[in-house]
Amino acid sequence: MEYDYYILFNTHTDGLNMAKRLKESNIKYTITPTPRQLSKCCGIAIKYEHEDEKAILDIIDKYDIKVLGLHSLERKNVDIKFI
Amino acid sequence: MADYRELWQKLGMDLEKHDVLCEVLPQLYGGIYLNQENRPEGMNYYNFVVAEVHGLRIKELDDHKQQGGKVVGTFCVFVPDELILAAGAIGVGLCAGSQFWIEDGEKVLPRNICPLVKAFTGAKLSGTCPYFQSCDMIIGETTCDAKKKAWEILDDYVDTYVMDLPQMKREKDYKKWAEEIYDLKDKLEKLTGNVITEEKLHDAIKLCNRKRMALQRLYNARKALDLPISGKDALLISQIAFYDNPERFIEMTNALCDELEDRIKKGIAVNKKGSKRILISGTPMAVPNWKIHHIIETSGAMVVAEETCTGTRYFENLVDETPTTMDGMVKALADRYLKINCACFTPNKGREEDIIRLAKEYKADGVIYNSLQFCHTYNIEYANVEKALKEAGIPVLFIESDYSNDDVGQIQTRVEAFLEMIG
Repeated sequence: MEYDYYILFNTHTDGLNMAKRLKESNIKYTITPTPRQLSKCCGIAIKYEHEDEKAILDIIDKYDIKVLGLHSLERKNVDIKFI
Repeated sequence: MADYRELWQKLGMDLEKHDVLCEVLPQLYGGIYLNQENRPEGMNYYNFVVAEVHGLRIKELDDHKQQGGKVVGTFCVFVPDELILAAGAIGVGLCAGSQFWIEDGEKVLPRNICPLVKAFTGAKLSGTCPYFQSCDMIIGETTCDAKKKAWEILDDYVDTYVMDLPQMKREKDYKKWAEEIYDLKDKLEKLTGNVITEEKLHDAIKLCNRKRMALQRLYNARKALDLPISGKDALLISQIAFYDNPERFIEMTNALCDELEDRIKKGIAVNKKGSKRILISGTPMAVPNWKIHHIIETSGAMVVAEETCTGTRYFENLVDETPTTMDGMVKALADRYLKINCACFTPNKGREEDIIRLAKEYKADGVIYNSLQFCHTYNIEYANVEKALKEAGIPVLFIESDYSNDDVGQIQTRVEAFLEMIG
């Protein structure tokens, strides 16, 4: 089974702050809409590579970034349904 | 997680129904956009805008309204954003690109009209679009019969002002359009309580031109044979241009263009060698209508440009910044906007010339002419466009579609056959 990894935030400001620090540290990341399975609220999440988790935890600690936790989600191939 | 429910409630939204949209959007966006390989890093900004589409920007509109500002919704590239900005209001191009709103639209409109008109009407009636709910006024125009009559219905729900767009391009039509621009100026001044001064209008003209130039720069990057960005991503950026904060949008789009130009220098491409280059021509693609681009780009080809209202028609031609008097600026606006070659005009030879010019500029292998269902002007105009393209030796495929999933398989088959034919 393959997984995708996400950081969730209280506010978009925390998310953008995290994105800035990741960029500075040359850690690959993607800003994404928060997957519905992880939260019912809309807003941003950051998707990251699992191998970078230790470095990410260090950044969170060093810069005191408020996060709603690091989460994993099983990757599934879903058919695209236009809405 | 940011919780915007209180704000949405204040806007009179149907939270339960809106939640259905919130539920499916992350998955749709993930499947269409986030699965692309080798995307530019600068796309993170637009991911952010989509993730916060019904959140942060709505909060910004609300803050503006709290300070006594007005929000004005538009649906067409003929409505001059410059006046809205000069009146101190915020303009938002309202989306109407989802099947989600069709059912509610059909409660008051006939079924056999364009999905865009049904969708924007449904979006308002269902109270599920926070942009629509934020609008103090909307500005419609007379670009087609369906819109023209829908404004009368919409006016029962939100203050709807209509600009009468001439449908020929004679000298008297330019004068008439300038008069319409003056009328809109009066209307916006009454709505906002702000006077549109010459200085404010000149600043707004310069701002809108800068936005156009950022989009022109983005599209120029797509002329490279090694494409630095996908057509889907470029479409998303154009769509976001309609409602994002203009200054922020310009800054982030220029930052992305720095990256794209660097990619071109280094030969970093999103396309496979030999993939076919397609020019899209036709009706607008409002958020979240990414259907045709997705089909094309998952069939091994790339979209290199869009001759549409959510493409070149939005940003080609700048407003002349030389005049500084009100009369001079209004004339400059009328001249620039009437250069747009929309199928609502007769005759409309300029559009045929645009398509052929763009196909050459973007080195397109073929054109896919995409028309929304029941869009008479674009559907009918295909006959002359097809003839002109045939004479120019440019292959073309005609697709008429709506926002539903029903015809995806069929369109995919036709696109694949077309790509094989031009191979």
